[in-house]
Amino acid sequence: MKYFVSAGGREIEVEVDGEQVVAAGRRVTASLTTIPGSPVRQLLLDGRSVALPIEPAGSGRWAVTLHGERRELEVVDARTRHIRSLTGDDRKPGGPANLVAPMPGLVVRVQVQPGDEVPAGAPLVVLEAMKMENQLKSAGPGRVAAVRVQPGQAVEKGQVLLEFAAPAP
Amino acid sequence: MKRVLIANRGEIALRIVRACHEEGLEAVAVHSAADRTSPHVRAADFAVPIGPASPTESYLSIPRLLEAAEASGADGVHPGYGFLAERAAFAEAVDGAGLTWIGPPASAIRAMGDKTEARRRMEAAGVPIVPGAVAPLTDAGAARSLAEQIGYPVIVKAAAGGGGKGMRVVTAAEELEPALVAAGSEALKSFGDASVYLEKFIERPRHVEIQVLADAARTVHLGERECSIQRRHQKLVEEAPSVAVSDTRRERMGAAAVAAASAVGYRSAGTCEFLLAADGSFYFLEMNTRIQVEHPVTELVYGVDLVREQLRIARGLPMSVASRPLHPRGWAIECRLTSEDPANGFLPSTGRIEYLRPPAGPGVRWDSGIDVGNDVTLYYDSMLAKLIVWAPDRPQAIARMRRALEELVLVGVATNQGFHVRLMDDEAFQQGDVDIQFLDRRSDLLEPRPDTDRELQLAVAAALAEDAARRARRPLVTADGDGSGAWGRLARQEALR
Repeated sequence: MKYFVSAGGREIEVEVDGEQVVAAGRRVTASLTTIPGSPVRQLLLDGRSVALPIEPAGSGRWAVTLHGERRELEVVDARTRHIRSLTGDDRKPGGPANLVAPMPGLVVRVQVQPGDEVPAGAPLVVLEAMKMENQLKSAGPGRVAAVRVQPGQAVEKGQVLLEFAAPAP
Repeated sequence: MKRVLIANRGEIALRIVRACHEEGLEAVAVHSAADRTSPHVRAADFAVPIGPASPTESYLSIPRLLEAAEASGADGVHPGYGFLAERAAFAEAVDGAGLTWIGPPASAIRAMGDKTEARRRMEAAGVPIVPGAVAPLTDAGAARSLAEQIGYPVIVKAAAGGGGKGMRVVTAAEELEPALVAAGSEALKSFGDASVYLEKFIERPRHVEIQVLADAARTVHLGERECSIQRRHQKLVEEAPSVAVSDTRRERMGAAAVAAASAVGYRSAGTCEFLLAADGSFYFLEMNTRIQVEHPVTELVYGVDLVREQLRIARGLPMSVASRPLHPRGWAIECRLTSEDPANGFLPSTGRIEYLRPPAGPGVRWDSGIDVGNDVTLYYDSMLAKLIVWAPDRPQAIARMRRALEELVLVGVATNQGFHVRLMDDEAFQQGDVDIQFLDRRSDLLEPRPDTDRELQLAVAAALAEDAARRARRPLVTADGDGSGAWGRLARQEALR
């Protein structure tokens, strides 16, 4: 079975036939064993042993925690990938992204108003979490279209704080 | 003293429970609603719920803690670090209730807690201090003229502060006012006091602190800890001894720390923090009038149990530290494991600990307050655990820490484990070429690094996991198999049952 594994914008083709695996064009011997009572699995890749906590994270998605850094990989088979390419369900056109709360916290200050043109790195919102004030800055240039929160408001992770539009031409 | 109430949570509460048991004392844990199943509660002999998750209604509530002490029959109180540890009013309330306070006298906490007052007294005691204000700033105008006088860069600090909260470095006049506002508001939230002061910012100094221990008869120092690896003034890695401290410098800094402690009538364990400049000059920053997070590295190189010494001193016993001159033996390093997500700008991450395998083996110490099933919330500090190693010398200690970090598996919440791995692998760190701005310059260490070998391993593992999962769901019919023939039909029928 041929799979396409994507993580962080990169895609690696992995063909699995029992322990015979062709990964990114390289033929290797690989096996994965579950360690009972734990999310840890032991990967043997051409004799090299690696212990990796891997957990299912939804259909075809796998979360790997390595040195405390959690990464999600998506595994699709050739047919699913082909259908996706036909329906154009892979990427939407990019515009200036909205500012979302990177963590749950409390809005301390909003430093912009609707209509403000901001350069990359401009201070936007101060969010307090774990007794620390965290300065959220703009990722790129843009125009503030709407402010969706106010000081004193508690916000959840992923909540939209500011909406952006493309900078005025 | 027979039964000690520990007015804290997390790893330090567990650390104190352990010391109590080794001293033959009973331990009383207190816990908020969020910490009912925490390791410190399980390890203690008694447990008292003291309120909801919010610290102001639990771990910061003096009345509730005193009620808990009475209800549990405790006759001593250990505050740990953070929360009420440096609140003189708490020490007085404990004394007032007829209980033994396991810490310095309230007068010493008060003298050192007000940073501007502390500066005045240290200057009088002949302890070197950083040029700057000795009084809290009243208005922006006064701040501006003082900053002009001592010259930029300057640093704004909370008068009642510590731990990096309410601190701002200002490099130019126009940044001063916003920094005063931000530091003041952070100080108000963290310490209930918005007053800030200002001092000369010494560029690229090391953070070197001296551990002191004082009983009724003697005040001694137990050498230095270097804590230069900091991010936004929060220490991440500490070691003892310091590559920058020779025997003679240790004696000079140690004498200054002992003078500082003696000047305020100190008892128990405490720490004098210094900035050590490249030219060898050092300046007193502040004294932490409590046990510190990073105390284990001193314990490992001096062979002393600082928390047990605190318990002994509180009972009126002499410290068990020898009166002959002491020298550090070997090298110890501590890494603070925090629930901060490197892939998300080091912002706090929350979640449930789903799996934990702490490192073990020769020279490894794991001080942690979390276990499988515990929730990491935003109510408390982001430090989950401390990984501490000892080895005969610094290169071996780094190699051992690297090995221990490789063994550690924690699933359920993002941590800074990868940062510690990258730091141990870093040449500049290995050479000891660090100062408190090290991580400002080396922000590359904070971010995950692409590794093509690793990516291939992950891709293969994910593909194999997906393949195994699909096989488990549909044993014989695969998406690219034709599924014809008797076995295929049977499998389809089996799958439909």
